[in-house]
Order: sequence, then C-alpha cells, then structure tokens
Amino acid sequence: MAKKAKSRTIAVRLISMAMTGYFKTMVRPRVHHPLSMIKYDPIVRQHVLFLESKRRQR
Amino acid sequence: MTSPSRSTFISLAHTLPPRLLRFFARYPPGTHTDVRSNPFKPTVHAITKRWHNPIFSYRRQAVLCKIARQHGVEELLPPSRKSSAYKEEKLAQRAEGGVGRWKRMLEPKGKKWERTLHARLEKRKKAMEEMPALIEKWKRSGHGRGWKEWPR
Repeated sequence: MAKKAKSRTIAVRLISMAMTGYFKTMVRPRVHHPLSMIKYDPIVRQHVLFLESKRRQR
Repeated sequence: MTSPSRSTFISLAHTLPPRLLRFFARYPPGTHTDVRSNPFKPTVHAITKRWHNPIFSYRRQAVLCKIARQHGVEELLPPSRKSSAYKEEKLAQRAEGGVGRWKRMLEPKGKKWERTLHARLEKRKKAMEEMPALIEKWKRSGHGRGWKEWPR
C-alpha cells in the first residue's frame, strides 16, 4: 500500500525568546526556511523575538 | 548534703494525699518507668496484638500529676504525657520549629509552580535584559535568514 502523501504545508510553533513559555502556532510551506518574527508577548507585555522551535523526531 | 534517713522519707510520705500514697503503694517510685509496665502508657497484648488502654486514663494521669506537682514529687511518677517535663519538652520543640510531621506542616513543600517560581522569573528577567541585543543580532542576520540558533 502506498504511503500517504506528505502535505505541502506544516504547522510550526514559534516560541517567545522572553522564556515565558508563550508561543504562537503558524502554518508555513514545508520547504520554506524556519520562521522568526517580532510579536507581542502578553506575559512580559512587550514585543519580543519569536523563533521557530525545532521539530521533534517522531 | 547528708542523705536523709529512712524515717524522714516515711514522715514525708505521710504528708502526701491518700490518692498519691495509694498510687505509690501500687507503683513504687523508680519502678514501672519503661513503656511496657508504665501504667500511663497503652500496651499491646503479646498474643492477640490488640492495643489496650493505659491503666490510668489521661484525665486520671492529669489529676495525679497535678497533685504530685503541688507536693513537689512529680518526678517520682512514671513518665506521663501530662507531666510538666513532657509539656516543657514539647513547648521547646515547637519553639524551634517542631519535629517530624509537625515541622513539615509548618514548612510545607509547596506546589511545583511555587517552588520553581523564583528560578523562572530570574530566567525571564535575564532573557528580557538580553532581548534588545538579540533583536539587533536577528535584524543584522537578515531577519532570520542566516539564523543558526533555533530553540529546541
């Protein structure tokens, strides 16, 4: 039986670099480079850097 | 100090109330001080392993201790929870923060978030101090294009 085709996009988790545990989930194309952006972290009430976390091996 | 004679003890004993005299007749001072023969302690039956109440209830122990205290012969009684020595010991233990279970009650372990709160706040504070430099570095690297240090 043929394997199920991989989807073109993946859901990724962008973690706040303020170390608050706050994160945002985004969808990006699988072949795209990892996402990073400056977004608001409500725990420290500031705009901080969010970086994409490495995907876990399953 | 010369040791008082036997007759002194006998005359002193006659000043004690009959209730104490009866007790000392049955349990002479200095005997019955170990846990098994102490009439103030509960005992476990050797064969049936059942616990039996002390011969003297706490109420009667308290009365005996009080009378003995008034006549200055409290230390001649077997060890009791109602003795002033025991109470002073307990008070001292409580003053220094208790022992065993009582101490744990006074100093609870706390929830995990309570125990780790300080460390997490420190980590967050340190990260926020480094944030402007990190953002500057990120901007210079082409907004993440050449970024290497991705978090786990």
